[in-house]
Amino acid sequence: MTEKNDERPDLKAVLEARAALQDDARPEAVAKQKGRGRWTARQALAAIVDEGSFVEYGGLARPVIDGMSGPADGLVMGTAKVGGQAVDIVLYDYTVYGGSQSYINHHKITRMFAHAEELRLPVICWLDGGGARPQDGSPGRRLTPETFVVFARLSGLVPTVGIVPSRAFAGHANLAGMCDCLIGIKGSAIGLGGPPLVAAAMGKRLAPEEIGPIDMHAKSGVVDLVAEDETDAIELAKRYLSYFAPWRGEVIEPDTSVLRTVVPENRRRAYDVRKAIEHICDVGSVLELRRDFGKAIMTTFARIGGRTVGVIANQPMHLAGSIDTPASDKAARFTQICDAFDIPVLLLCDTPGLMVGPDAEKTGLVRHSARLLVALANARAPIMTVVLRKAYGLGFYIMGSQALRPAVLLAWPTAEYGGMGLEGAVEIAHGRELEQIADAEERDRRRQELLGAMQHAGSAIETAARFVYDDVIDPATTRDVLKLTLDTLANRDGDTKRRRFIEPF
Amino acid sequence: MTVSIKSEIAGIVETLEKSVGDTVSQGDELIILSSMKMEIPILATVSGRIKEYAVAEGDMVSEDQLLVVIEA
Repeated sequence: MTEKNDERPDLKAVLEARAALQDDARPEAVAKQKGRGRWTARQALAAIVDEGSFVEYGGLARPVIDGMSGPADGLVMGTAKVGGQAVDIVLYDYTVYGGSQSYINHHKITRMFAHAEELRLPVICWLDGGGARPQDGSPGRRLTPETFVVFARLSGLVPTVGIVPSRAFAGHANLAGMCDCLIGIKGSAIGLGGPPLVAAAMGKRLAPEEIGPIDMHAKSGVVDLVAEDETDAIELAKRYLSYFAPWRGEVIEPDTSVLRTVVPENRRRAYDVRKAIEHICDVGSVLELRRDFGKAIMTTFARIGGRTVGVIANQPMHLAGSIDTPASDKAARFTQICDAFDIPVLLLCDTPGLMVGPDAEKTGLVRHSARLLVALANARAPIMTVVLRKAYGLGFYIMGSQALRPAVLLAWPTAEYGGMGLEGAVEIAHGRELEQIADAEERDRRRQELLGAMQHAGSAIETAARFVYDDVIDPATTRDVLKLTLDTLANRDGDTKRRRFIEPF
Repeated sequence: MTVSIKSEIAGIVETLEKSVGDTVSQGDELIILSSMKMEIPILATVSGRIKEYAVAEGDMVSEDQLLVVIEA
């Protein structure tokens, strides 16, 4: 390219128009955004994509209203590579009319989502804005954009990740609500109705952060991950996407001997199941989703020998690992994500069963727990089960029992099996006998004796003798056995005709 | 710097495993809560010195309630 060629007027005009899109051509708008303590869309773009991999689509689009101007009409989008993986990326640009959704940028984003559908590319959304641009709502223009329907159709077809850097309201919240993985930065807010709508409906003026603060959404299950800042959010988005591509990084072996002592000898003593996951999976490969929601179950992506697995584990530290409604919902949806992308599911079972009592029933547990069973029963992604301790009743039935035909069903020496919790089982089976013992001490002694007999019958070895488990293993070998099992799943034919969406919640 | 440790669950304080003024390491058991017939250990999230126990043995605690303050 020579100087002379640059000076052709047609080319010069295009080069100038392209240059005008960049942040350095817009010092005022950029300074204003910096003043808010926030990143510009192009700054975020540069931090997300592999250097030199971005091809912009619709950069020269501008607002449809005469007299309005704004680079790319407020939506930066295109194809790129992220960690070597091809993706489509869309970023609402807050410096252009507050990142609003306009007549033209609705067409743009629809184009990108349809492109992702056609070419099966994961999608990253930077959701910075509060819905429709009012100026574009005039009569004569189409008021029903395809945006949301086209994005909804990507569910289960390609992984979708949303990042909310500041505020996502109205249309931006609609998109957020449909992402497989939603990441919110500390201090951000998400809501369907922003302050004006809330004021109109409820007569109360509230700040966005009072309507839908991110820490509330972490507890309600709306967001999957809470990030410290932009850099952290982008890092988390990249980590999330890494589970959907072959792993090219190094595999660091964990110290598996720790697994022998994860479950305390004292039956009543709870432990953090996170430790089991961390010592079964590759070091540094574990990403926990929805940590503050449905805490009785942990859902994490991880790798074993470089291969992605979705780990669903009862958490004895919370409700003793009893499966309640939030835990059911969380695990059901996570199962759907794994199934949609043919990721093997590893179930780590330690549950006394489903949560009981009127409070639990009031939450609709009958239906919510069924949702988890339906998700697992219909999953065509392989399931692997390891019973760490308690495997009782319907809880175990759901958490990977033989009936679900897992690829392998393993138990640790600490495994306890029973149709229901043993203390309750003793009362039901021997209540009358116990009642008839007049002496309280004697009654207690008999109760302990019966309990001991049941414990023995439900011990790992006795249960394996009745072939409830495929094997009882040294916990330190869990990783090796799962690796060998994963190897047997390597050539499994994917059902390409299958098309299932992931429930947003 | 002081670090507050809150309860993630509702339960009853079974035992206080340390005393105010004790030096603790990260991961040490500070309190055993009893919840759902299980003993739930509350662990030190940082190393330091116990500045305050905000609960006593036998107390009922609710989710998010302050349990221990550690001077890190």
